[in-house]
Amino acid sequence: MEQLINELKLQIKEALNLEELTMEEFDENAPLFGEDGIGLDSIDVLEIIVLLEKQYGIRLNNPAEGKAIFQSVNTIAQYVQANRKK
Amino acid sequence: MKTEGQQWAGTTYGNGWMHKWLIRMLRYIDTRVLYTFVAVFVIPVCLLLNPSRSIAYRYFRRRIGYGRLKSAWKTYVNHCLFGQVVIDKFAMYAGKKFDVQIENYEQFQSLATRKEGFVQLSAHIGNYEIAGYSLISRDKAFNALVFAGEKDSVMQNRNRMFADTNIKMIAIRPDMSHLFEIDKALAGGEIVSMPADRINGSPKNIEHDFLGAKARFPLGPFSIATMRELDVLAVNVMKTSLGSYKIYVTPLFYDKGASRQEQIKQLSKAYVAELEKRVRQYPAQWYNYFEFWQEG
Repeated sequence: MEQLINELKLQIKEALNLEELTMEEFDENAPLFGEDGIGLDSIDVLEIIVLLEKQYGIRLNNPAEGKAIFQSVNTIAQYVQANRKK
Repeated sequence: MKTEGQQWAGTTYGNGWMHKWLIRMLRYIDTRVLYTFVAVFVIPVCLLLNPSRSIAYRYFRRRIGYGRLKSAWKTYVNHCLFGQVVIDKFAMYAGKKFDVQIENYEQFQSLATRKEGFVQLSAHIGNYEIAGYSLISRDKAFNALVFAGEKDSVMQNRNRMFADTNIKMIAIRPDMSHLFEIDKALAGGEIVSMPADRINGSPKNIEHDFLGAKARFPLGPFSIATMRELDVLAVNVMKTSLGSYKIYVTPLFYDKGASRQEQIKQLSKAYVAELEKRVRQYPAQWYNYFEFWQEG
């Protein structure tokens, strides 16, 4: 799981061009949205949706499901582990 | 990064009752009668009361380079034309047909016959709604991104008009459900159309030189297009006479082998260049009534 979390952090950092955020600062439990967390917005979510499809073969179609998945890197990792196709 | 004043309510002016009344009236009255009424009685009042007057005037003075008198006259013409395109939109809901010419239709056709989806980028110039949706494909669904805050009467008319077509509306919503719909449509080889000249929702933006000054454009549309390295068309629909429109279809190129950031930069630059070309061609059809440029 730890390996998957680090892999996801790296992929998200690269996809969203989060150069200023170091791997040490990137807390897997921090909320992805809002000023208290990583501060991502709606466009970033779409980037992550495409990333999950390309890297893990996961197609996300349900917005209600998305809200729970995109809480933090940790929740994304749990979802990927349970649903990955590659 | 969103600049002060660079905001838009995301809705058509007027209330639902006014819209219904207007559509009913346009079933019987020639649009030219309403154009004249609006030009003589409505626009002068609007110009006195609305801050759009000084915004449009500054646009003609500083960005187009007109003299004081010409800028003042063109501000009036611009507001009259805006009134006309709004009337035309409701006339279309009332069943009126306009003459529509399409430049570069083969560019649309060539993408529409491919398996992959593609993106159409529009702007708030001319009147996209009146003819943008006539660029449809029999085999490919067309998804138009619209503001969820739009009046029910406008949305109901859109839904009624497009009920028997493969045109769908994706409303921008706070729960981000529209992102799932956009992704699903593009992954499924469909067309997604969205405006790329107003920052709405995500504040992320990219700055470009536009008509001689720095202006900010939303990052979202360019980010969405390059995410799946899709082909992109700029589609602008300009009013050419009282009853006719011309659709300009222009492919926008970017290096699909470059980094994402570079792709976004190239694509947005191509979009801005095409927008500048059309605005210079039809300067009076610019309808972004907010402080668009980063000027001192």
